[in-house]
Amino acid sequence: MISPNVSVLDGSLFFTISLIFILLSFIGYFSFIFSGNKPIAKLSFVALIITLAIQTFAFAQRWIYAYKIGINTPPLVDLYDSLVFFAYVIILGFIFIRIFYDFDALGFIITLVSALALVFASFSPLAPSAIEPTIPALQSYWLLYHIVTLFIAYGAFGASFGLGILYLFKYKKESGHLKKEGRFLGLLPPSAIIDEAIYKVIVFGLLFLTAGIVIGAAWADSAWGGFWSWDPKETWSLITWLTYILFIHARVTKGWGGKRMAWIAVIGFAVVIFCYLGVDLIIPGLHSYATPGSTPVL
Amino acid sequence: MLSKLNSFFSSVKLAIFLFISIAVVSIIGTFINQGNTMAQYKIIYGAKVFATLYWLGFLNIYNSWYFIGLAALLMINLLTASINRFPRTLSAVFGPYPSFKEAAEKKSPKAVYESFESKQGIFEVVSVLKGVFGSPLKESNAPVSGEKELYYSKNSIFRFSSYIAHLSVIIIIIGVLLTVKYGFRSYTNIKVGEKTNVSYLIENNKPIKLPFTIRLDKYETKYYPDGIPKSYISKISIIKRHTRVLTKDIKVNHPLTYNGITIYQSSYGHYKPAAARLLVLNLKNRNYKRAIDARPGTFYDLKKENIRFKFTLKKNPKKSEVPFFIAVYNNKNKKDFQKLNFNILPVKNHNHKVPLIFAKYQNTVFLYNGIKNYYYSGVEITKNSYTSVVWVGSIILIIALFFSFFFNQQETWARLMPKNGGEVVGVEILSIPRKKFPSFYRKFGEKIANIKNKLNLI
Ligand code: HEM
Repeated sequence: MISPNVSVLDGSLFFTISLIFILLSFIGYFSFIFSGNKPIAKLSFVALIITLAIQTFAFAQRWIYAYKIGINTPPLVDLYDSLVFFAYVIILGFIFIRIFYDFDALGFIITLVSALALVFASFSPLAPSAIEPTIPALQSYWLLYHIVTLFIAYGAFGASFGLGILYLFKYKKESGHLKKEGRFLGLLPPSAIIDEAIYKVIVFGLLFLTAGIVIGAAWADSAWGGFWSWDPKETWSLITWLTYILFIHARVTKGWGGKRMAWIAVIGFAVVIFCYLGVDLIIPGLHSYATPGSTPVL
Repeated sequence: MLSKLNSFFSSVKLAIFLFISIAVVSIIGTFINQGNTMAQYKIIYGAKVFATLYWLGFLNIYNSWYFIGLAALLMINLLTASINRFPRTLSAVFGPYPSFKEAAEKKSPKAVYESFESKQGIFEVVSVLKGVFGSPLKESNAPVSGEKELYYSKNSIFRFSSYIAHLSVIIIIIGVLLTVKYGFRSYTNIKVGEKTNVSYLIENNKPIKLPFTIRLDKYETKYYPDGIPKSYISKISIIKRHTRVLTKDIKVNHPLTYNGITIYQSSYGHYKPAAARLLVLNLKNRNYKRAIDARPGTFYDLKKENIRFKFTLKKNPKKSEVPFFIAVYNNKNKKDFQKLNFNILPVKNHNHKVPLIFAKYQNTVFLYNGIKNYYYSGVEITKNSYTSVVWVGSIILIIALFFSFFFNQQETWARLMPKNGGEVVGVEILSIPRKKFPSFYRKFGEKIANIKNKLNLI
């Protein structure tokens, strides 16, 4: 373990503390889907807002600390940074959706995905929280725009994944496949409303995914001399993009609705997760998050 | 026949098939390392597997005929689909607009219909409708029956966004093709102090001649306090017709562009053999001092002493001894040499104990002063004058995506029919959205309630 002193300075302690609140929120949302108790959902939402506030503070703290020790890039560089940021945008995405739709039942999936990312970040030896100096390739203002746009997209796709799962449950019930009238399903909005939300969240994510890929290409052009090198991460981002492009076309022109779209939302997120983590952990490439001991690329 | 072909090439089914195929081929490419040399592949996979993979084109999959074929098919698909549908979209935006009857007969599953009767006069009803839906795009009167029809089309102009999105994809692909055709990506290694005008293509290592000469004036790696590299800096000069036109430091993320050609810092290293830094002193003449970077195997003349020497590495040095010696030659006989071993003398220097490593030949002393590395800098040299086409296409794509996603086009018809000799007005409202969203139907319901409210029907 690192000394508590550093973990306060670099913000990692606060990320770990936020884990407590997100777990509380998860427990609340989880019991909500069985009890239908609205006050519990409200409390869970409050816990989530607290989580977001702590993480915002932790993120600012980490950034300031990085600057203080002479590192001029935002803390979005290694696996730890990216996991906590992922947890952060997923929560942010849910809070936005919750403002527009009465989707408390989505809470338990979102808090689960977010908590998993945070647990991985806080406790896995693969993701040390220490701030390392940034290798030259990442010393660029493109970094911030590239990562932030892509993670907004990831957050949206995470939300669409949760919505897709809710849709599949609800659809089963509405189409009479599910006999038992569970309380949970009664709490969900009609499937058509979930369906619209899936579309809107996915196209929002797709817009940011497109922007993120273009920004990445522009950066590669200015750092490596070519905007596209078929690096595994680039290729998987293209595959992710194609998955969601397929989604919008199937929907607009083939009139696919509901169930198939919900499945694409679920599968699409699996592709996103592979693009985000699988590629780094399985296939080496220009983009791998610097795992401890690996040689940095120029 | 031709129409069958046309409907095949413009079908969205084909598009979906192509999206999936391109994704699958791309996935294969991420699991099989691309861009190694044949020799490397033979070692990795063994001769047999290598032969199969090579035959399948898996080793250079993004340049394989089938990958390029799929991409080309996608472009054809995109073009034919857009061209086929464009006239329909044009008329949806600019007219002639379908009448209430035509729209109703289509029985669109997305349509929503509402009818009621109002006791107010036809002009009051029209003004209420205008208050809720705005001014209509088209207003028509049937002269005999007194029937009136209003037509609204909201966001219809955004019907073009999907065409613009498709067009921008084509612009991007054209930009990529132009870059591949008229540009190049190459690399070269330049030693410090040397210059070159030859660079090697990344795809096949073929040399190409640059329109100018590059000189590497200096190379430096900067480190963080804990020894992690902070930046790699090459001082590069561009030389044209024997005159230096430009000098600039390049770093990763900070390339140099000259005449459409860009030079990127990409790697560095030192080449062998390194040299021994020797300080040559004369015991008799205190003012005599020469610094020589002696590379193993090279002869150096000391004219004043009338000797030549060669810095030589020992073949099998023992652990305790200095692993090199100096071979001193008599100027007359080239074969005959005397071996000078180095001695180690620990001395105190600035409170540190440092060893003094020296060898002596008559009055001449050779002081060993460490190793001098000769650096080279690996630079990538590229020409891609058409990347701006790619960026323009990308920006159009992002804007077009935004407008296609968030602006749902909706058509609304209102038909007003005087009944019972003009006592009441039968109102029928039909609305068809492009995207079937519950939010649309909710808003439609709100509008109808609003209209009814204003006509005192509730
Ligand atoms: C490769 C990249 C492609 C991109 C980025 C793209 C983008 C889009 C977008 C943004 C829309 C509007 C969707 C919506 O409003 O929800 C759309 C619609 C459509 N796309 Fe594509 N598309 C691509 C390829 C294709 C291909 C290969 C076809 C071939 C059939 C195709 C056929 C269509 C059709 C028929 C529509 C509906 C047009 C309309 O009436 O608005 N697209 N596309």
